[in-house]
Amino acid sequence: MPRRKDFLLRALMVGLAMVMVSSCAVRTDQIARDPDTVRMAVNGWVGYEASAAVLTYLLREEMGYQVQLIRTDEQPSWQALDQGVLDVIIENWGHEDLMEIYGPEGNGTVVDGGPTGNEGVIGWYVPAYVAEEYPEITSVDGLREHTDLFRTAETGEQGEFLGGSPGFATQDQGMINAFDLDLQLVFAGSEAAQITEVRRRYAEEEPVLFYFNEPHWLQQELDLVRVDFPDHEPGCADDPNHIPCDYPPYELNKIFRTGFVEEDSPAYRFLAAWTWTNEDQNQVAKMIADEGMDPDDAAEVWVRENPDEWREWIPEGAMER
Amino acid sequence: MTAMTQPATAPAPNRGEPGGVGGGGSLLRNTWVQASLVIVVLVAGYWASRALGHPAWAGGFPTAVGDRFMSLLDEIYAWIVVNRNNSPLFLYFFNYISVGLGSAVVLINRFLDFLTWPGVTLIGVILAWRAAGWRVALLVLVTFGVFALSGLWNESMTTLALVFASVAIALLFGIPLGILAGRSERFYRGVRPVLDFMQIMPAFAYLLPFVLLFGIGNPAAAIVTAVYAFPPAVRITALAIRQVPKGALEATASLGSTPWQILTKVQLPLAKRTILLGVNQTIMLAVSMVVIASVIGAGGLGDAIYQALSKVNVGEAFQAGLAIVMLAIAMDRVTGAVGKGGRESRVPENRRLPLRGALLALVVAVVAVARMLGVGGWPRDLAVDISDPVNALYDAIQDTIGPATAALATWLLENVLGPLADLLMNSPWWLVVLAGAALGWIFAGARAAVVSGASLVGVGLLGVWNDAMDTLSQVLVASVITIALGVLIGVLMSRNDVLAAVLRPILDAMQTLPPFVYLIPAVALFTIGRVPALVAAVVFALPPVIRLVDDGIRGVPAPTLEAARSQGSTRRQLLTKVELPLARGSLLLAVNQGIILVLSMVVIGALVGAGALGNDVVVGLAQNQLGLGLASGLAIVCLGLFLDRVTQGRRPSRA
Repeated sequence: MPRRKDFLLRALMVGLAMVMVSSCAVRTDQIARDPDTVRMAVNGWVGYEASAAVLTYLLREEMGYQVQLIRTDEQPSWQALDQGVLDVIIENWGHEDLMEIYGPEGNGTVVDGGPTGNEGVIGWYVPAYVAEEYPEITSVDGLREHTDLFRTAETGEQGEFLGGSPGFATQDQGMINAFDLDLQLVFAGSEAAQITEVRRRYAEEEPVLFYFNEPHWLQQELDLVRVDFPDHEPGCADDPNHIPCDYPPYELNKIFRTGFVEEDSPAYRFLAAWTWTNEDQNQVAKMIADEGMDPDDAAEVWVRENPDEWREWIPEGAMER
Repeated sequence: MTAMTQPATAPAPNRGEPGGVGGGGSLLRNTWVQASLVIVVLVAGYWASRALGHPAWAGGFPTAVGDRFMSLLDEIYAWIVVNRNNSPLFLYFFNYISVGLGSAVVLINRFLDFLTWPGVTLIGVILAWRAAGWRVALLVLVTFGVFALSGLWNESMTTLALVFASVAIALLFGIPLGILAGRSERFYRGVRPVLDFMQIMPAFAYLLPFVLLFGIGNPAAAIVTAVYAFPPAVRITALAIRQVPKGALEATASLGSTPWQILTKVQLPLAKRTILLGVNQTIMLAVSMVVIASVIGAGGLGDAIYQALSKVNVGEAFQAGLAIVMLAIAMDRVTGAVGKGGRESRVPENRRLPLRGALLALVVAVVAVARMLGVGGWPRDLAVDISDPVNALYDAIQDTIGPATAALATWLLENVLGPLADLLMNSPWWLVVLAGAALGWIFAGARAAVVSGASLVGVGLLGVWNDAMDTLSQVLVASVITIALGVLIGVLMSRNDVLAAVLRPILDAMQTLPPFVYLIPAVALFTIGRVPALVAAVVFALPPVIRLVDDGIRGVPAPTLEAARSQGSTRRQLLTKVELPLARGSLLLAVNQGIILVLSMVVIGALVGAGALGNDVVVGLAQNQLGLGLASGLAIVCLGLFLDRVTQGRRPSRA
């Protein structure tokens, strides 16, 4: 009996070795995948989700595609494109460093897909009631004088600067250092937590100073004022510990997986042709976040109201699919 | 849920405790006096260092070694990014696994889709009925009802597919390893520290390495979930094999059985029940992990919660959380019932085959009809939305007690958390290490002292000393609150059967409710920062503590109580002199589990601004900084080791 067992075991090992050697090397993009499925990254803010909802709706209802939404942070989604498990990031904020690693100069696995038409602004914001009471607070010097306004139990003697999600691109600490502000950076840990806290203080008219961005649906709910810093100039943010300038304005763009572009499917041509405005995105985002609509329903509303806009994105011949 | 994963071996037998509550001997031999002395020395050291203006030799741990460690990890990261599709290691190994697994999850999901909702529900109910009786079958039916009516049918199926795939992997590796560990003492000793390590390592910290090796989305999610869920499978299988009576083994061996025969004919059949308990635990852990896995792109119910939270929609998150709770409870009951012995035997032998055939035919017929009618997932329009009432309730709570809780948060920060963090962060590091070792010595003996000191030094060597001390202060405060509340509620529960009957299902649900769900309410009530994180940790760790205290007190033998009562003890005396001392083992375990569970919330707390080590882990994951993320995760393990050793009590001296 033991003999037969040995033999079986050996046969199994040999078989396994044969499989390992004879079969070809496996690349991660060989994962089982439906050719009619587009795999789209969803990063953690509602504006992105609004774009994703509308594109998903159109791909599904008008072009017969399935869309798989994969929710990850910004940097991991680049990595996922590189690994071949995602096809597209539809709203990218900067990240030149990642483009160097994964783009045509580096791994060659991702390509820039052109602008989305949205313009992104990142900055420091205070509620309007704070700016009314202390008009000078929106300038660097005025802010420096009034940092004590933002003291909280968490930060003690220093003022509190409320950061956003640790996944976002930030230069706040560098700005605090460079402009010599008596502030302590407190990471809210997630955008949801940050918004909850800002809303709470806004309701009680307490002062708050925080990292925020546009386009963002909350901008329509709350009256916020941006703090002015010297404009961003090339090279001014090179030293992460000393950044004497504001965030740069972002022209938001799409990032495609190289293989997805090479397939040149109608889905790719559709996504490449898509551009829309900040107002469009805000309209959909507000329906999702503020009115609590299902993203899909919100997308449907927008699609019904703006047929002229989206018909141009659909490539020739794709409607008959 | 982690509470149940450690087989209850920890509490030490009651060997004349040194000092103890009413112990004799000089004052200095009392454990608590000794511990207070250590604290006094630590505080004195802090003031001395402060008086000297915090010189470098009396400050935080030097970071040189840690920095080098982190940059090494970052280099590894960069190498993998460049070589993922060139290196043979990936082409022939990791990519196989990730492609295979990713495809498996997709296929299971497609299969569930193929069965349509009537088919899946029918199969689930039939399986539950055959395996566990009609009560459980009814529960399963209700669970599918919740999936359907909450409008989360497709998400639930995705989660189910992921749970199946990862439990399969966990058992595929866990049970054979457990069998080996059960048969070989040496192997068991080698494996145990690895299992301990895996259970303390925060799940978030190993998300990044796995994403790096296996890719975003389902493959990494399945593996991470399997890794998280498999320690109980190994532990409990090993335990089960060991529990097989020696006599039975010797008898079969003397009859000339081969080791293989002994295993398959004696050990496995006799250990089957206990092994199934391990399977049950594995499934429960997998269900809780799939929620966290949504952070790395696993879809399903976890994703639904995450999505609701990004919109600050508590009601929606709660709804998805409810679906997870139901899934967990249903799977627990089904596997639990299988473990206690199936119901199959009730049907006479000669009718089993026809019955099975009929049920199979029924399933096939239902699926066929459903497919012909073009039924797929449950139609979304037929969903019942409970998120609005939940949101209304949430707003009402926030309005009524919000100001009070916010004030409480400020008080806690200024008077407790702040000073403690200051003390730990600004004392000389070697004094903190010595104090840790001394506490280990006092509470748990020499071995624990060595391990405690070493693990604190380990924290320093990882280069995250200051953040670790900040985290330690938060964990200590949260643990004290958890244990105080837990003992209080546990004692009340043990004295009042009505309260116990009401609380038990709530505790069950709380233990399976993903902590993400109560993060945002915590922020709304307690402002952002360390306090909401602390509150979430307490909520998370409380149920097992309450349960252990309750069990312990209920386990005190009735005759002992009678005897004490007949001698005229008051209720108070009964509690402090009889019940609590006799339940000491359970209480110790409750303290230990409470602390470990609080520690496991460190990273999740960072999502609401707790900062420190948790934030480092989250930043590591979100910004692809492998060095920072992994070093911080390891530091959390070191802290866990320290806290575990100090609180597990004296072990019987063992070689």
